Amino acid sequence: MSAIRVSGVDVAFTTASGPIQALSDIAIDIAEGQFCVLIGPSGCGKSTFLRVIADLQAPDRGEVQVFSGNAAEARRARRISFVFQEATLLPWRSVIDNVRLPLQVGNWKSVGRPHRDPNELVQLVGLGGRESALPHQLSGGQRQRVAIARALVTRPDVLLMDEPFGALDEITRERLNDEMLKIWQETGTTIVFVTHSLSEAAFLGQSVAVMAAHPGRMSKIVNLDGEKPAGAIDRSSSRFFDITSDLRRHLETAEGMAMT
Amino acid sequence: MMTILRPILGLSSLVLAWALAVWLFNVPNYISPGPLGVAKAFSNNFGALVKNLVPTMEAAVGGFLIGNFAAICIATVFVHWTRVREIYLPVAVFFNTIPIIALAPVLILIFGLGITSKIMVSAIVCFFPMLVNMIRGFESVSSSELELMRVMSASRREVFFKLRLPRSVPFLFAALRISATASVIGAIVAEWIGAELGLGVLIIQTTFDYRTELLYAAIATSSLLALCMFTIVVVAETFIVRWRTS
Ligand SMILES: Nc1ncnc2c1ncn2[C@@H]1O[C@H](COP(=O)(O)OP(=O)(O)OP(=O)(O)O)[C@@H](O)[C@H]1O
Ligand SMILES: [Mg+2]
Repeated sequence: MSAIRVSGVDVAFTTASGPIQALSDIAIDIAEGQFCVLIGPSGCGKSTFLRVIADLQAPDRGEVQVFSGNAAEARRARRISFVFQEATLLPWRSVIDNVRLPLQVGNWKSVGRPHRDPNELVQLVGLGGRESALPHQLSGGQRQRVAIARALVTRPDVLLMDEPFGALDEITRERLNDEMLKIWQETGTTIVFVTHSLSEAAFLGQSVAVMAAHPGRMSKIVNLDGEKPAGAIDRSSSRFFDITSDLRRHLETAEGMAMT
Repeated sequence: MMTILRPILGLSSLVLAWALAVWLFNVPNYISPGPLGVAKAFSNNFGALVKNLVPTMEAAVGGFLIGNFAAICIATVFVHWTRVREIYLPVAVFFNTIPIIALAPVLILIFGLGITSKIMVSAIVCFFPMLVNMIRGFESVSSSELELMRVMSASRREVFFKLRLPRSVPFLFAALRISATASVIGAIVAEWIGAELGLGVLIIQTTFDYRTELLYAAIATSSLLALCMFTIVVVAETFIVRWRTS
C-alpha cells in the first residue's frame, strides 16, 4: 500500500520578478514504511514538496493522497509530523514540555490514538536526565533531538524532515543518522527526508528521489532496497562509496538539465 | 553586589558635587538648597509628603494597570482582526501625537477634578507604548513556529495562548518598564492642571512660594515612587522570563 501518492502537482509562486514554477508535474509514489530521501540542487522545490504533503502549501494543480485521504485530512487526523531545519522549540518550555506540546494542542484528544510516552522518547533520543533543561541550555544537535522526539510523540504515520541535520557538524550528523535509522526500524514510520548531503542520502535512503530545478521536477528515483538488505550500511565499505558516487552522477545530471 | 554599589557611588558623587557647588558659589537657599537642607525638609515635612504621595501613587498605579490592560486587550484584537487594526491603529498613532499636557485639561473638563481624570491621564500615557510593543510581540513569532502549529492543526486560540502570548512577554516587560515611570509623569501632569492634593500640587505650590527645600523633597519623593514601580517590574521580569532566544 502506498503511504503518499502524488501526481501531476504544480506549484507556482508570484514574486516581484515574475512567477516562479517551484514544482512542475511532480509524481511520486512512496510505499508505507519507506525511508525516502529527497535530494536536488538548491531552490529546486524540495521544501515546497514537503510543505505540499503536509498541507502547508496548496498545490495549483494535481493530487496529493496521504493514506486513504487527502493531505488536509491526514493533517487534521494528526498522521503527519514535520521536523524543520531549525529545531523550532518553544524557548520557554523545557525539553519534556516541548515534547508534550503536540499532545496539548489541536484536536489530539478527539483523534483518539494512543501516544508515546514523552519521557521514554526523551530517553530514546539520548537526552535522559535533561528533561527540565530549557532549549537555550542545549547544543544544536540536542535541540534537534528534542524536535525529533516531539515529532514522534503522536506516533505519526508520515514523518517529514526538511534538512533536519543541515546545521550540524559531520560527526554529530553521522551519530544522529545512526539514531534516525534505528528510530525508523523501530517505528516503521514512512519518512520523507530532505538533505543536501550525498552521504546522508546514501546512508539513510531506501529510495532516493533526485529533483531538478527550474522548474522543480522529479529527475530520477533510485531504489536502494537491493543494495542495503539490512537497512544500514557500513560507511567505509566500497558499496557505500559506489552508492554515493552513483547519487552524485544523478545529481550532476539533474543539475545539467537545469542549465539547458 | 557591585552592580548595586557602583550606581550608588555614582549618585553619591553627584550629590557631593551639588553640595560643593552650592557652598562654593554661595547659592541662596530659595534658588537651590544643598542636599542637607533638602534632607532636613524631608524629615520635617514627612507627614505632608506622605499625605501628597498617596493620591499620586493611586493615580499612577491605577493608570498603569488600566492603561496597560486596555492596550494588551486592544493589541490582541488587532492581531486577530487585521481589518480592525488597519482602521484603528492609525487613529491611535494620531492620538499619540497629541502632547499629554494638552490633553490633560480636556480630560479634567470631562471627568472633573477627582481621581478619575488623573487615572485617565496616567492610563493614556501608558497605553501607547504597550499597544505598540504588544503588537510587535504578538507578531514576533517565526514562520516555522506558525507552520509547526498548523501541522498540529492548532486553533487560533491555541496559537495565541501557546505561542503568541509567551513570545510577547519580553516585549510586555519592555513596555512595562516604560510605563512604570511614565505613569507617575502622567499623574503629576494631571495634578499640575488641577487637583487638591498630590505631589504635583505640592511641586507647583512650593515653586510659587519659594519653599525650595520642600520642592526638592517633593521631587525626590516622586522620583522614589517611579523608582519603586520600575524596580517591581524588573524584579517580576527576572522571575517570570527565565528563557532566552538563542
Ligand atoms: N513563499 C514563497 N514565495 C515565493 N517564492 C518561493 C516561496 N517559497 C519558495 N519559493 C521559491 O520556490 C523555489 C523552490 O523553493 P524551495 O524552498 O522549495 O527550494 P529547496 O529545494 O527547498 O531549496 P533549498 O535546498 O535551498 O532549501 C525557489 O526558487 C524559491 O525561491
Ligand atoms: Mg529547502
